[in-house]
Amino acid sequence: MRIPSYDDLTPSIPDITARETFDEVRKFLSLSDPPPEVDRHAAYLSESSGLFACLRGGVTHTAPHASPPFLVARDFSPRIERHGASTVVLDVSGLGRLLGDAQAIGAELARAAAGVNANIRLAIARSQTAARLLAIGCPGPAIADTDPALAIAPLPLDTLRVFVEDDDRHGAATAARIAATVDRLDTFRRWGLTTLGEIAALPPGDLSERMGQGGLALQQLARGIDRTPLVPDPGVPRFIASMELEWPIDALEPLSFLFARLLDPLSSALERADRGAAALRLDLRLVDRTVHSRVLQLPAAMRDAKVLRTLLLLDLESHPPSAAIDIVTIEIDPIPGRIVQYSLLERALPSPETLATLTARLGALVGERRCGSPVLLDTWRPDGFEMRRFAPASSSQSPVSSSQFPVARSDRGSRTTDPGVSLNQEPAMRRFRPPVAIRVVVDRGRPVRVAIDRRGMPGGQVRCAAGPWRTSGAWWDAGSGGWDRDEWDAALSDGSICRLFHDRRNSGWFLDAVLD
Amino acid sequence: MASALRVELESLLRAQKLDRTLTTNTCAPVARDVAATGLRALDQQLRGGIPRGHLSEIVGPRSSGRTTVLCRMFQAAADRGEAIALIDTCDRFDPVSAAASGVDLSKLLWVRECGDAPRALKALNLVLQAGGFGLVAFDVADVPAVARRPFPYTTWMRIARVIEGSQTVAVVVAAEHLARSPGGVTIAFDTSTETSRAQWSGIADRARCLRGIELRTRVIGGR
Repeated sequence: MRIPSYDDLTPSIPDITARETFDEVRKFLSLSDPPPEVDRHAAYLSESSGLFACLRGGVTHTAPHASPPFLVARDFSPRIERHGASTVVLDVSGLGRLLGDAQAIGAELARAAAGVNANIRLAIARSQTAARLLAIGCPGPAIADTDPALAIAPLPLDTLRVFVEDDDRHGAATAARIAATVDRLDTFRRWGLTTLGEIAALPPGDLSERMGQGGLALQQLARGIDRTPLVPDPGVPRFIASMELEWPIDALEPLSFLFARLLDPLSSALERADRGAAALRLDLRLVDRTVHSRVLQLPAAMRDAKVLRTLLLLDLESHPPSAAIDIVTIEIDPIPGRIVQYSLLERALPSPETLATLTARLGALVGERRCGSPVLLDTWRPDGFEMRRFAPASSSQSPVSSSQFPVARSDRGSRTTDPGVSLNQEPAMRRFRPPVAIRVVVDRGRPVRVAIDRRGMPGGQVRCAAGPWRTSGAWWDAGSGGWDRDEWDAALSDGSICRLFHDRRNSGWFLDAVLD
Repeated sequence: MASALRVELESLLRAQKLDRTLTTNTCAPVARDVAATGLRALDQQLRGGIPRGHLSEIVGPRSSGRTTVLCRMFQAAADRGEAIALIDTCDRFDPVSAAASGVDLSKLLWVRECGDAPRALKALNLVLQAGGFGLVAFDVADVPAVARRPFPYTTWMRIARVIEGSQTVAVVVAAEHLARSPGGVTIAFDTSTETSRAQWSGIADRARCLRGIELRTRVIGGR
């Protein structure tokens, strides 16, 4: 018996030459059918059961995460992508079982958009691109649950330009991209094309020969094809805290402890996310089933819980709720935290937190309209100014004078009385609001004596006077109170220098200001 | 023995920063931080300017130039990049003439009160306690003495204590001497009414124009 060898156990391998291998491959290739032409667009749509909504608002100066479209969108879906400052696209695919078909989802979105009192355009389509183009091109709600290419076919060419302008994710390259898009759209117009449907119908090969990849990209947009999937905005947590009370609260002091309990975790969350509060929204549900809402716009991003609590309490002191409180809800609109670079050459200004607290306290004490920075108005009206929020800007210039540095004095402790100096300066005025009615004796058209019935006011013989200077205005607007008067500068015998005026409308004399 | 006790007591008071009323000198002169007023001649009188961290005052009769000097101080402080505040008890400040004299109004926090002096005093306290201001002015020039009577006796001591050691210049503008901390100064204006302080240009009645006010100042105090 022969013991089988290893060769007996393994199957024999036929000898195959390289020529035979090449012939086999060629035979296979020649016999196999050519791959069918795949309509990638149709395949994408068939594979994707997505449904996207686009909300497009007007230009706002709020933070992107506080824009009205974003505030509406975040109540419907966590998958939100921002495009520019005022456009968001949200994935509403999963809302069918909750709300219904695309028409029902659109109706709910439209109702929510109407609730924020903002002019928001709404569009729903099977692709993000089509939804955005429909929101740009259609003023009313546009619901397209069919082929997106057909839905956007009638839109004009300019929608593509706005589409590219909205997409600011490319940063500095945006300007060049917009310019190239405008050039290509001009070329399309010269070819006689006016709608997106006509661009979509162009042969891609010929278009690529003439315009390259940029032209093909525009055609894909015109067909409603998404070039990238929806990328949800990652860091958009809601900073909201609420508490339902067992017993209603009708005083501010216990509310202070409640605010501290709600704001401390919110402040910690803001710090972890490197965010600050741009606005603070307080909703107090009262025992009479109404909601007392207050919104505090903060001058700078801040997250100090004590400051926020103080601001809320001061605001509630000025605007108290009408009944006891059942539920307290605080929501914070976040913006990126402040980065402050201090300078060694400038004096430190009060911090925004300090100023916010100070102005709130002063507003509660003297009235909100009676503290702030005066801003002169562009008018000839005497005393023409208005009050604005006090927000001093740090000046870049800071001439360092010797007086800013400590000066060593060897005569510390000596009590001095200097003989005095004389200076000539243009005078500032101390204005009376409203002007004080006075009695004036006039001789040959000039005031010679001034008398005022109130104690502590200037009066006496006019030693010297200059005038009159006539000024008038707003005579065309009876409601705003026009003026028409002759002004005099008069030095009186009691040492006062006054600005008097003769009101030509009622022939009365008034003391406008004292020059001091 | 008595002198040793006195030295020990004074050293304790100095350690607690309660040495403002002591008459004895310390060993070394202490550096003084001042804020220039913007008027060269007045700064020379003040030896550099108004001391920081102290309560000073500007006193004088009507039309003596108190508000003009105050506006120049506002201008100088704003030029140095400081925030300034004015608690205006009788709402007399005129932003138009202040802006014409060069005051940067965006750096001015103006608190307008309508004659309620105690409430204005509360506002002053809030501003000083907030800190960070280079110059804080409290204008009570047109407040009658009767209205100032409700101020507690310790009011000015408390205010001086609040700003002590800070970089803030606190100034009270009044018609007569009212308050000053021991390290502060009083800028007093001429009270005579025999000669007018107004400076006119032009001789004829129709051609005359008010050009300015002559400031006759005198500085009292300052250590």
